[in-house]
Amino acid sequence: MLKVSGLEFSYEGTKTKVIKGIDFHIKKGEIFGFLGPSGAGKTTTQRIIIGLLQGYGGSVEVMGKERRDWGQSFFEGIGVAFDFPNLYLKLTAKENLELISSYYKNKNENIDLLIERVGLLPDKDKKVEGFSKGMKMRLNFIRSILHNPDLLFFDEPTSGLDPLNAKTIKDMIIDLKAQGKTIFLTTHNMTVAEQLCDKVAFIVDGNIPVIDSPKDLKVKHGSHTMKIEYYDGKKTKTEEFHMTEIKNNQRVFDILKTKDIKTIHSQEATLEDIFIKLTGRELV
Amino acid sequence: MRILNALRADMKFQFKQGFYFVYVILTLFYMIVISQLPNEYAKYVVPIVIFTDPSFVGFFFIGGLVMLEKVQGVLQCLVVTPLQPLEYLLAKVISLAVLAEAAGFAITLVAYREGFNWPLLFIGILLTSIFFTLYGFIATNGCNSINQYLIKMLPYMLILTIPTIIYFITPSLWVLQLVPSVAGLNLVYGAFNGIALVEAVMYICYLVTLNVLFFIKVEKSFMKNMVKG
Ligand SMILES: Nc1ncnc2c1ncn2[C@@H]1O[C@H](COP(=O)(O)OP(=O)(O)O)[C@@H](O)[C@H]1O
Ligand SMILES: [Mg+2]
Repeated sequence: MLKVSGLEFSYEGTKTKVIKGIDFHIKKGEIFGFLGPSGAGKTTTQRIIIGLLQGYGGSVEVMGKERRDWGQSFFEGIGVAFDFPNLYLKLTAKENLELISSYYKNKNENIDLLIERVGLLPDKDKKVEGFSKGMKMRLNFIRSILHNPDLLFFDEPTSGLDPLNAKTIKDMIIDLKAQGKTIFLTTHNMTVAEQLCDKVAFIVDGNIPVIDSPKDLKVKHGSHTMKIEYYDGKKTKTEEFHMTEIKNNQRVFDILKTKDIKTIHSQEATLEDIFIKLTGRELV
Repeated sequence: MRILNALRADMKFQFKQGFYFVYVILTLFYMIVISQLPNEYAKYVVPIVIFTDPSFVGFFFIGGLVMLEKVQGVLQCLVVTPLQPLEYLLAKVISLAVLAEAAGFAITLVAYREGFNWPLLFIGILLTSIFFTLYGFIATNGCNSINQYLIKMLPYMLILTIPTIIYFITPSLWVLQLVPSVAGLNLVYGAFNGIALVEAVMYICYLVTLNVLFFIKVEKSFMKNMVKG
């Protein structure tokens, strides 16, 4: 669906490359996440692929054709939700959607259904200027899928949303995947990457040092341990064991047989731990 | 048709932003003032008003429209739809030309009691409006806020206004006829006070050529100047 090779880019008027030769590909039906701190180049990369930034080096092949060879019809097949909700403030929520929908061949016949899905039905006839950031972001999100595109770009889709609204959006993204859509999202939130993505690319300073599935990353790089807390007289003590060594570790069984156990927890490294370990950077 | 949808969207946007309201008030104001004038003055005042209406207002409106769309970020969202820059520009140009024609003819028909050359008036308003809309587009290049635009707009306006005023005072300075706003004014003026056919045709050809060139320029630099700032 999307294949990027040796992509390089610098903004006009600057010499420094902000994208320094990255490679990745996204298969059809996959949710692919760019995980990285602010300023890493996530938005820039998406904008190059979308076509908002021209003059890139390397190759970007989208839906079977080099990006620079596509015309305006490219946009019939893709949906974009920017990180900043850009809406007509003086128009109502529904008018905003109708206006944009009218520009596509595939017109949405049931806009209210989408509005309802993100909980904006009571506000659909209100002007957007009175909306909160969260409401705007939700409207911004559904506007990108009005025309039922096959390839979707979401830039920080849950940023600025409260947990409940973030869940609504995450559920919708999972639904879209179930419908066979291909999704490229960016985030600096490891939970989002972990919950949604089939694959994540760690991006730092315009480079991608790691691409893998969150699950495999954890298997390869995260330590999986068991932590036992037990009473020892008046004090409580804690001991930690690697999962792989438990069955051969007599100490574990001794504790279990002889001590009063307070808690037992299994512990996994988070994606963030692995990010820090592999890139030497924090996520925020 | 995408272009029709774009046109409808533009008119809706202009209406909701209160542009039509301003225009109606302005037009009514002109009508009242002009209808108070004796006929011999009206011959001079009406063409000037009708010329300045699509030019100044068109210029201010297009700047306001584009800057509002830019500031609200919707331009960015429009360029990721199948709507083409050409269609976007045409919708703007047409919607403002319709407005200019409506106001120009309303003022003339209501406030002007003598005969006039209406095809010439129509063409004069059309070409002037298109020119100033495109010129206003160019003035918004590189502006990212309304304030920036207001500062940049001033010299753009003066470059055309000053020669037009000078020409009006000293018509013998024929070189000034090459200033597009002078050509437009002469057409509109001719619709009320008569103009040689050759002269009219020359102005028309000149403005049409200029408009086509401007249109191509604006369309070419659309992505670079309109979207990214
Ligand atoms: N319009 C611009 N002009 C110049 N530099 C920019 C522009 N936009 C972003 N940058 C720079 O490019 C780098 C990557 O930014 P961006 O892609 O927005 O990162 P992210 O989305 O990962 O936070 C940053 O160093 C940023 O300062
Ligand atoms: Mg970003």
